Amino acid sequence: MLKEEFRTHASYSGKQRFLTFPLFVLVLAFFSGLTLERMTEQVPLEQMGVFANLSAFLYGLSVGAFGLMGREYLERRHGTSNYLVAMPYLLPLSFRTTFIGIYLRDAVFYVLLLLAPATLGLILVAPIVGFHLTSIGLLFVAVLLSFMFGLSLSFLASVVYIRSKAAFLGITAAIGVLFGSHAILAVPSLEFIVPSLGFQMNVRPFGDDPGTAALYALVVLLATSVFTLLAYGLVQIRINIASKMHADLLPKIYERTGFMEGINRTLMSKEFLDLRRSGTVAKMFFSFVLPLLFLSFTTWYVNYGLSIPVGFNAVFYAAMVGFVGVMMYSWLNNVDLAEYYSLLPVTVPQLIKIRILVFLILTMGISTFFVVAISVLNGETELLWLALIVMFITSLYTVVMTAYLTGLKTNTFLFDTSVLMRFSVLSFFPDVCLTILSFTLQADWAIAVAGITLVLVMLSLATVVFFRGIDMKWDRTPFTA
Amino acid sequence: MAVIEGRELVKDYGGMKALDRVSITVEEGDFFGFFGPNGAGKTTLIRILTGQLEPTSGSATVLGVDVVKEPMRVKELIGIVPEVESPPTYLTAYEYLYFVGKVRKLDNLEDRIGKWLAFFDLEEKKGTICKDMSKGMRQKVMLASAFIHEPKVLFLDEPFINLDPIYQRQLREYLEGFVEKRGTVFMASHILEISERLCNRLAIVNLGKVVSEGKIEDLLREGENLEKLFLRSVGLKALGGDPARKTS
Repeated sequence: MLKEEFRTHASYSGKQRFLTFPLFVLVLAFFSGLTLERMTEQVPLEQMGVFANLSAFLYGLSVGAFGLMGREYLERRHGTSNYLVAMPYLLPLSFRTTFIGIYLRDAVFYVLLLLAPATLGLILVAPIVGFHLTSIGLLFVAVLLSFMFGLSLSFLASVVYIRSKAAFLGITAAIGVLFGSHAILAVPSLEFIVPSLGFQMNVRPFGDDPGTAALYALVVLLATSVFTLLAYGLVQIRINIASKMHADLLPKIYERTGFMEGINRTLMSKEFLDLRRSGTVAKMFFSFVLPLLFLSFTTWYVNYGLSIPVGFNAVFYAAMVGFVGVMMYSWLNNVDLAEYYSLLPVTVPQLIKIRILVFLILTMGISTFFVVAISVLNGETELLWLALIVMFITSLYTVVMTAYLTGLKTNTFLFDTSVLMRFSVLSFFPDVCLTILSFTLQADWAIAVAGITLVLVMLSLATVVFFRGIDMKWDRTPFTA
Repeated sequence: MAVIEGRELVKDYGGMKALDRVSITVEEGDFFGFFGPNGAGKTTLIRILTGQLEPTSGSATVLGVDVVKEPMRVKELIGIVPEVESPPTYLTAYEYLYFVGKVRKLDNLEDRIGKWLAFFDLEEKKGTICKDMSKGMRQKVMLASAFIHEPKVLFLDEPFINLDPIYQRQLREYLEGFVEKRGTVFMASHILEISERLCNRLAIVNLGKVVSEGKIEDLLREGENLEKLFLRSVGLKALGGDPARKTS
């Protein structure tokens, strides 16, 4: 299974390019280590520890979330390939054995892909900046525990989801309530929700209480084991494949898309029908809204929880909304396989452009609502006009740039290090510029607005260049793999 | 009149030559069979001739249109049934035919859809989206979508696969009628019994090269059928069903 997972990922961008991904992580960790001292002037080391562990927890949750898509994911993306996960259908092997195999495979593969190279990067930089190897080792243990905690919770949730959607919603709501309660009332503590954080905060360099740390480690190990055993015990032996009847909706949707013409109207109608039938709209909504809520919580926590007056304002949030949008475009490319388009007089750029438009239609309402809400809550309605312009231009720029770089295979190409590097640079620099300029608004309004205007003009020009480039870059690309 | 013409076509997949200087000519009204072992390059050639894939070198035209320079124009003129039945996951048969009809800007769309749903008996599955259909039903949807605009040339990659004997016969009769009306069929298939009855000309490809080409009656030796011709062309003798016999 490990070999299969490696080959699947390597098939996206080539073996060498895929192997440069952990190298990229290693280098990033190395340079983060080099600049750690400077970074701690802005953000306390303790908060970085919290951030690292919460990120590992979320990473574990997202790795396990593939289980939620399960059969649907395999059928859709790999319809012509036979994966070992299908073994119970063909060989005398139980679903439970396969399930635990997938669990172990994901644990090993994704630790090797990200956590191990990041740790190695810190070990390599240790002699230069004077990190204690023990601290790095303990950091690795803590984030590993956080990752496994998230992974096992996610696997359990996926098993529950298959058995009962109501129970799944109950679990999700309970987790949401815990985090929400912590955000608003500071109860329960984050260590209670993610116990590995308690381990982290009681060992070097954050604390020195081995007894309490061991207790937290025991709790997280116990919880991870219980989640895993429950998932193992509850995994359904046979997935019911129920066929549902549907009304022919395409002509009705086509009638409603009169604002488009010709082939674009047909393509857009089908995109909307796909989104509706596949249930992707709800998944997209959560994958867009959750990061925004997470961002709002983090900035609120920094401002009020830690009392660090950073000066987050509506313009900062507007820029972030634009950059978060890339996930939505990625979702649009994962609704269905596109092979059948190769049989029709349709080109890849035509479909890319339709998906950009669908992205804008789907996100503009939520994004506008978010920016308006933040402006009102922060008492910054005077910044709203600027925030809305920033939000619209960064959203458009991000989706067009992503579409130019990755075409119809966003997930696939973001595993290609050269594409990932370009994507990182093209999103990081404008993001940093807008963030710094937004922080300057209170101190020097005129300079900040002039700077933001300049960045927005450049982003708009880049958007036009990328949009035109889509035709040239993807025109000869086949829909087929 | 040559309807399909490929000249010196080469397709190189990173050092592995799927096609090696393949030249092929198909005349109007031909039922052209294209045969070969698994991995011989049949699907690659169909994908090149239908504008789905660019050749590494060589040229090809379909109905006089250059498939490399004008792939969209070629796709407008032809009907394609791919090797793997892969209609859109979330559309019903009716919706997919409606979608294809709109993309191809067809008139009398409702009549056309009704005709093909009835022909393949897809009306009984009305309301079922393609992902919930059997392989045979999905194949029927793909066939209907390739026929709905009444093209003059059909490219069919394993069209009979997954169809039950009733619909194999129905499809066979339709294709015979299509060719009688001067339509042209380019078909890749492993079902040699049906192919022998349908095809008037053929090419056999092995390891990316055409090893036999011409009219069936010219290629067959006395007492030989298409299966024997195929085995002779690819350099194999007929083998029994027991794998152990191959080594004995």
